[in-house]
Amino acid sequence: MFASILVNGLVNSVILILTALGFSLTFGLSRVANFAVGGLYLFAGFAAWIFLRILGLPYAVAILLAIILTGILGAIIYQVLLVRVRGIELSEVIATFAVGVAILETFRWAGFVTYEFNLPSFFKGRLEILGTVIDYQRLIVIGVGLFLAVALWWFTHHTKIGLGLRGIAQDEHTALTLGIESDWAAMLSVAIGSALTAVAAVVILPLGIISINVGYEVLLLAIAVSVLGGLESTVGLVIAGLILGYAQVLTANFLGPQWMLVVYLAAIVTVLAVRPSGLLGRFKEIEERV
Amino acid sequence: MNRSLWFVLLAVALIAVACTAPAAAPSSSSAPASSSASASSVAAEPIILGVPTALGTIEGGDSLKAAQMAVDEINAKGGVSVGGKKRPLKIVSIDTREAEAGIPVNDALAAVEKLILEQKPHAIVVGAFRSEVLPASMDLIAKYKIPYMTSIGMSPTLQQKVTEDYAKYKYVFRNGLNSSYLVMYLNETMKFLGTEFGFKKAYLAYQDVAWAKGTAGGVEAWFKSNGWEVVGSDAYPTGATEFSSSLNKAKDGKAQVFVPIFDMPQSGILLKQARATQLPAVLAGFISPVAPATAWKTFEGDVDGMVNFIFEIGPLPVKGIPASVTFNDNFAKKYGEEARAKMSGHGPGPAYDSVYIFAAAIEKAGSLDADAVVTALEATDYNGVVGRVKFGKDHQAVYGLDPKEASVGAAFQWRNGNRVPVFPAVAAESKIQLPTFK
Amino acid sequence: MTITFRKERLDRGIKARSADIYALASWRELAYLLAPRMLLIGGVLAFPLLRGLVDAYWLRVMLMACTIALLALSWDLMASVGLVSLGQAMFFGIGGYITGYLSSTLKWPPFITIPIATVAGALLCATLLYPVLRLRGIYFALITLSLPQLFERIIEATKILGGTDGMSGLTPLPDITISLYVIIAVLFATFFGFRRLIDSDYGLVFKGIRDNDRSVIAAGINIYWYKAQAVFIAGLPATFAGAFMTHYNQFVGMSSFAADYSVLPLTSTVVGGIGVFAGALLGAFLLVPISEVLRAYGTLRVVIYCIALVVFVVGRPEGIFRYAQRKYHQFERPVAVEE
Repeated sequence: MFASILVNGLVNSVILILTALGFSLTFGLSRVANFAVGGLYLFAGFAAWIFLRILGLPYAVAILLAIILTGILGAIIYQVLLVRVRGIELSEVIATFAVGVAILETFRWAGFVTYEFNLPSFFKGRLEILGTVIDYQRLIVIGVGLFLAVALWWFTHHTKIGLGLRGIAQDEHTALTLGIESDWAAMLSVAIGSALTAVAAVVILPLGIISINVGYEVLLLAIAVSVLGGLESTVGLVIAGLILGYAQVLTANFLGPQWMLVVYLAAIVTVLAVRPSGLLGRFKEIEERV
Repeated sequence: MNRSLWFVLLAVALIAVACTAPAAAPSSSSAPASSSASASSVAAEPIILGVPTALGTIEGGDSLKAAQMAVDEINAKGGVSVGGKKRPLKIVSIDTREAEAGIPVNDALAAVEKLILEQKPHAIVVGAFRSEVLPASMDLIAKYKIPYMTSIGMSPTLQQKVTEDYAKYKYVFRNGLNSSYLVMYLNETMKFLGTEFGFKKAYLAYQDVAWAKGTAGGVEAWFKSNGWEVVGSDAYPTGATEFSSSLNKAKDGKAQVFVPIFDMPQSGILLKQARATQLPAVLAGFISPVAPATAWKTFEGDVDGMVNFIFEIGPLPVKGIPASVTFNDNFAKKYGEEARAKMSGHGPGPAYDSVYIFAAAIEKAGSLDADAVVTALEATDYNGVVGRVKFGKDHQAVYGLDPKEASVGAAFQWRNGNRVPVFPAVAAESKIQLPTFK
Repeated sequence: MTITFRKERLDRGIKARSADIYALASWRELAYLLAPRMLLIGGVLAFPLLRGLVDAYWLRVMLMACTIALLALSWDLMASVGLVSLGQAMFFGIGGYITGYLSSTLKWPPFITIPIATVAGALLCATLLYPVLRLRGIYFALITLSLPQLFERIIEATKILGGTDGMSGLTPLPDITISLYVIIAVLFATFFGFRRLIDSDYGLVFKGIRDNDRSVIAAGINIYWYKAQAVFIAGLPATFAGAFMTHYNQFVGMSSFAADYSVLPLTSTVVGGIGVFAGALLGAFLLVPISEVLRAYGTLRVVIYCIALVVFVVGRPEGIFRYAQRKYHQFERPVAVEE
């Protein structure tokens, strides 16, 4: 019982971290709140599905194409829409939210709603850890999640591009005077964020099925984890993911699965009410509340 | 101004993309409607049957097809005679989209009311899909007084409302299975598993909607009063895709039978996850995507060994009930073998029957007057593809184990890619076998 | 040398002439002022009388349009204090549940339960939101996005108030024509009331908070108290809409918190124009009928809303109302730009 909570909690936590990475990264790098992540997540899933099942491409190629396509879609969303409302936060939120819902509902309308839409596991098989059976796909999820979290932390703290991007989030004008081109950088951040969301999608979706509701849930999860962790901090994101992931497994075990979503939503509301910059967020509180 | 032009272009492009996408759901639902137009070449004014349901679901879509098939058969024989005059039947459908999690009940009701006000149906078949919508649409039906026979919605509230306020709700009937009869079937199956294999430990996981909750509650009560141990019982919100916590708890608690009760498309993944956790228990219950004949392929064999219910005979051809075999043959002839193989385990049988039941009741009443038709419906005694249909005082069709006495549901077990009927006796071709746990 | 042109906007003569008491001097000026207003008011008032002429279903659509218009007005008032909500469904659902509870347990008639639900619901919402009124911008939006879903999940998990089944068989409203006139009366009262309110000194504080909250604090005004009042006042029409539709449908359930009731009012206001209450009204009366026409296309209509939302947020943030107003009052002509 204890071991299964430990292992499943870890799996859940990493799933949450992966799901939120794209959203958090984009916000942390350029302060664009990309509410289209739910739509992009499913776009990647369905794209991979179409490449794999309809066009018959090899699985690896299908996944790679799906990730690249989603990144490009993110860049397009930025270039066509966001660049025109850049800086007006609420317009950004409304526009990206609408784009996300439009993507999701287009798929729903086109009939992508049955249980046939699922992606196969990368490898079939399972092994036993501490008496709990865990399949390879979940191990892959853990591996990819931890790798990406570390890689991104390194990217944003120790590479020139990463540091430049973060500079924009902190103070756009100063960054401009230092020769960082803000529009280009912001587009890059949205594209990378979208591609990361796509990575999360193709790794996580084989565990379940590609269903439209997942898209709405992903947005909620991404917001919950990012808000709890502090909207731009990679370390905060990991800690928040672990807290929520274990909270979810504990609730499911001791209260029943119907309480799982309550945990997220209550986390968002409480954290925003008590400490809007999150556990490890460092954006000055005065900016968010008076 | 160039900017606004850009957006118009974008909008047009998006719509164009949307239109060219494989529009599976809308096109499949419009196909039967068009065929009805060609069939109603009879001159007399048609009798209109409304079908307001979630057409995007397999249950809703297939029920509409089955009802359309019955209508075409009746029209081919000249139609229904009302007061000495033959009149054809005509189906008008509307998609209430009520199965989708985010759709407000109000919006589903608006769709039903649109159908009623614009098409003025004389009767409604198939009916509400979501348990939550059924009681709410009953108030609407009471307002417009239209005979209504539901084949999908399973909420026990229907009988309760009919019994409590008969004068108001007498227009509503149900010839599909309801939760209490499903409980009866499940209990029979559990009894068999208990006596045959000595099982005493069970785990329940169900969708948090009225019919599934009612079913799970009934089965749980039976377990407890028959000396079984219920290791756990979990409710999942509609749309959930992660069932590992229940599966792990079932495994830790050494449950021998796992009873899933779900009607959402996502629930199929439970099987995949059960295999991933290597749950050593027999799965016996209802998972809607596991019911069709194509499920073996969809789940890549992960369904092996699962005992799943077909709520009403019809989609599963049973030799004991010849009408169900003919129904399957005709369905395959009309819509293709692939559509037949994919047919949902809940809805099509009773939907097909309900058209015939209405036709008989209208002929008997000699008019389309709602009250007269309701009186005729109450006296129904009809042999259809689901067995014998008779309504109780609460307007629920009686279900049982013998097709000569009542309507019948069935259970089958997935074995090597085939659905082997195992329950009840009239349909069974084999006994339930223990699957090999890989 | 090439001559380039730019557009110049000038007020129409009739606008200048009718700007003052002299408007009373001629029918033409009077008509210029009154026609657009009367067209809207008269059109709305006359619609229920068309009962025999239009399909009965369109009366229901009108009811829905009025509901969304009420929610949109409520959204717009909150936005005028700088509180941008992504969850008007919370007001709608709370109003609906209060009236549903009163009606199903105490069996009180609608003319008692609806007013109680309106006031108590708005009070409850203001109290619930009070702790988070310190938040601004996207953070407040995030809270309001989560709250309706939180309520929905709590009801699902705790099984209170009917759980996932909801409460059905509530007392119906009288005949649809009467119902329509009731909701239209409330709609106009809200519309004109809000317009008056926002132009008063009291409303000036609201706008001050939106534009620069810190300077309002510096003026010695407790902005949180004002924001709470704004939420309460804005909550009234929204909770009324929830309570009213609950009785009309004789049903309340978890889906009263559905995203539709947040997205539609938001879209209506954005399309019609933020900050002018007439825009919210116009948006709702345009969008809801269009969405009815598109019902046959299923979820495609949601896609179309979303496209409309994006197009207006990004391309025409002023909204239809301001655009139309400008065209009505002013004309454009090209003027040569000297190089």
